[in-house]
Amino acid sequence: MARARRAPLTLSAASALVALGFATPLAYLVSRVAVGDVRVSSVVGDEVVQDALFRTIVLATLVAASAAVVGTALAWLVARSDLPFRRVFAVLVPLPLVFPSFVGALALRASVAPGGLLESLPLGIDRLPQVDGLFGSWLVLTLFTYPYVQLPVAARLRALSPSLEESARLLGRRPLAVFVQVVLPQARTAIAAGTLLVFLYAVSDFGAVDLLGYPALTRVIYANRVLRRDLAMALGLVLAVVALLVTIAERRAARNAATAPSLRTKRSLTVPLGRWRWPAFALVVFFLLNAIAAPVLSLAHWTRRGLSSGSLDVQDADLWTPVLNTAGIALVTALVAVAVVLPLAFLSTRYRSRIAGPALTLVVGGFALPGIVIALSMVFLSLNSPLLDRLYQTFVLLVVAYVVHFGAQSVRAAAVAVSSVPARLDDAARMLGADRWRRLFRIDIPLMAPGLAAGGGLVLLSTMKELPATLLLAPIGFETLATRIWSATEANALAEAGLTALVLLAVSGLLTWLLVVRRAELLD
Amino acid sequence: MRASSRRLPRLPRRATALLAALLLVAVAAPACSTDGDRLTIYSGRTSDLISPLLEDFSEETGIAIDVRYGDSADLALLIDEEGDRTEADVFISQSPGAVGFLDEQGMLSELDPALLDLVDEQFRAGDGQWIGLSGRVRVLVYNTDEVEGSELPDTVLELTDERFAGRVAVAPNNGSFQDFVTAMRLELGDEVATEWLDGMAANDAPTYSNNTAIVEAVARGEVPMGLVNHYYLERALAEDPDLPAANHFFAEGDVGSLLIVTGTSIIEGSDQSEDAQRLLEFLLSEQAQRYFAEETFEYPLARGVDPADTVPPLDSINTTTIDLDGLGGGLARTAELIQDSGLDR
Repeated sequence: MARARRAPLTLSAASALVALGFATPLAYLVSRVAVGDVRVSSVVGDEVVQDALFRTIVLATLVAASAAVVGTALAWLVARSDLPFRRVFAVLVPLPLVFPSFVGALALRASVAPGGLLESLPLGIDRLPQVDGLFGSWLVLTLFTYPYVQLPVAARLRALSPSLEESARLLGRRPLAVFVQVVLPQARTAIAAGTLLVFLYAVSDFGAVDLLGYPALTRVIYANRVLRRDLAMALGLVLAVVALLVTIAERRAARNAATAPSLRTKRSLTVPLGRWRWPAFALVVFFLLNAIAAPVLSLAHWTRRGLSSGSLDVQDADLWTPVLNTAGIALVTALVAVAVVLPLAFLSTRYRSRIAGPALTLVVGGFALPGIVIALSMVFLSLNSPLLDRLYQTFVLLVVAYVVHFGAQSVRAAAVAVSSVPARLDDAARMLGADRWRRLFRIDIPLMAPGLAAGGGLVLLSTMKELPATLLLAPIGFETLATRIWSATEANALAEAGLTALVLLAVSGLLTWLLVVRRAELLD
Repeated sequence: MRASSRRLPRLPRRATALLAALLLVAVAAPACSTDGDRLTIYSGRTSDLISPLLEDFSEETGIAIDVRYGDSADLALLIDEEGDRTEADVFISQSPGAVGFLDEQGMLSELDPALLDLVDEQFRAGDGQWIGLSGRVRVLVYNTDEVEGSELPDTVLELTDERFAGRVAVAPNNGSFQDFVTAMRLELGDEVATEWLDGMAANDAPTYSNNTAIVEAVARGEVPMGLVNHYYLERALAEDPDLPAANHFFAEGDVGSLLIVTGTSIIEGSDQSEDAQRLLEFLLSEQAQRYFAEETFEYPLARGVDPADTVPPLDSINTTTIDLDGLGGGLARTAELIQDSGLDR
């Protein structure tokens, strides 16, 4: 067994170093709380805090459950069925991830909440239901986070060998039974990994719950961050502990689920949907109408309104610089995020190691922290370490902050990708005298490409919308599309916000297609 | 695999090269763009609302400027985290809360008395550490299709009446709302403020994240009224003059029509304090103050410049100074009161 092998020292050392970097925000919170005059015990005993924490967990659990179902279904439909227009859907389906929640929620609500744009369309809708509170937050977060499940699961499904499914069919299993008994178990780790990300994202989200009036713990943190900073920091620590516990629990559960390595010699199976083909199509369209068309409707409406009243001048808007900035920094971040977690992915899947477990937990758990905590911890780290203070307010530190925040999204995808490479191939290459690097570049990476691209794609989309770290850490004057949207929203210049958000959507669509979808298709 | 096995292995090498190049540029970049003799401004006011003014300043004085835009509260936390390493020379805050925090942390330097004298006493910190530039008034924005003019209250205290149940939106976590509650504590005492907050909570006042969201929801008809700063509606009307929404100003001197000032300060230990002082003088000059009146529809605070015609004159507005001196428990207590009222749940 490959897992029984002891890890090479360099691999362990590299993984430990990576984990240390990812521990920075946690260390920052601990040190802040240690010097502050708020005790964690008294915070945890506070009824208001308990209520907020409870609400956070309820919301995150509901969102994780629904995103798991929706993400898996969409992944299978797009990757493995004969759904009409599935190549178009392959580009569209991951897109909602790129809406920054503060503008996505605002736009979605402007379309589908009472008095929203849908009421003015000839659809026979008289009065729309309220979209707020737990229901609204659940809806909005599900619509904007299911790609965390969909992208990695689609990658996993594409990498599955058809032989097991073919055998099951030959043995007379019906398609649904094949899906439940053969496909789902093989995709289980990918589904669980994605679902965990959704849970952690929902825990960390502030923009959507704030806009939709759901008093989750992040709202208490934000409301107090200046007026009662010690309290806010202690609450941040509570959030981190919850995230780490959930991450550990998920790892425990995942340990029993062996991922069957898959060596695909043929294209993965495409399952004909038969008479369900068009109903499935209608369902996917309806879903995307909510997740993409509804917010886009508002964004377009604001843009058009601004253009006709003259308050928005496209010529003046000069979006090229932010477009290039956004795409450039997000691409670099995605590459670095994948490269950085790769040693850890190898260590945890191929070797027996004591470092791997805690390291993975740190990398993944950090995703639940609000962006402002990550940003401040990076300031703290770089200004207090003689080696790193040169990097303060440079792109390097910004990319490090992004990677620390979003590395969780690439690490599980990378681990799933590594585990799907059959160890016997590696062994065979080793016996033929191929050294480690040759094996990595000639065997592992080509086989892992779709999985790595999916993980990198998630990081890419998240980075493109990141706001707090960008505002605080970027070199002065560095504008991204997200900072533009934020600035316009703050000034209530919705026309500019709308136009910029549409451009952000278009750019991310293009990049997703080029880097994730097309790359996956190249392999077919 | 087949066709692509020759193509794929190449990607990482290309990627590594690209990455190395980018990292090199990034590491090399700061070496040539250190603070030097540039004036660094951290601005909690977004670029849409102030950059033309800052560019004018730079052009007229020849002083090179760097501006970091961000949320006022986040920038205050950043400056405090940077401590004596901060490059910030000037901090422009959207609200007294964030600049007050830095004052408490001892991060601000005392301003020149001549500069402080440009505005009335109530528009600056008692300890002379920050000064107001412009002000916005708290108002009740309402949907003109759904609310009759006669229904509108004279005082914000009336909003706890049953007839307003579920009809007045608030943004309890927003800095402006927090400042308004602080003013209420200063003027009417903690007991009245607590009672009012509890009353709003008992009235199930719908909560929103910020002024933009409330104005949007009111204009759309989702909620008939909301407590906001006056100039958000002016911006919304500039984009769509047909919006069925208007601002209601509370009666003269009511605590509800509070003027919230943007606070400006010079960071302690700034190596550009002379240029920083020139910037503050410029921002309080007639030219800049007129910009606030005409372009952002705010109240200019330097004496002698009038606000736009669309807003009531300054002397009918409540101008309670939000000063921490003599305010028991300071701003933290305000946050506590808001939280305990259960308004935000």
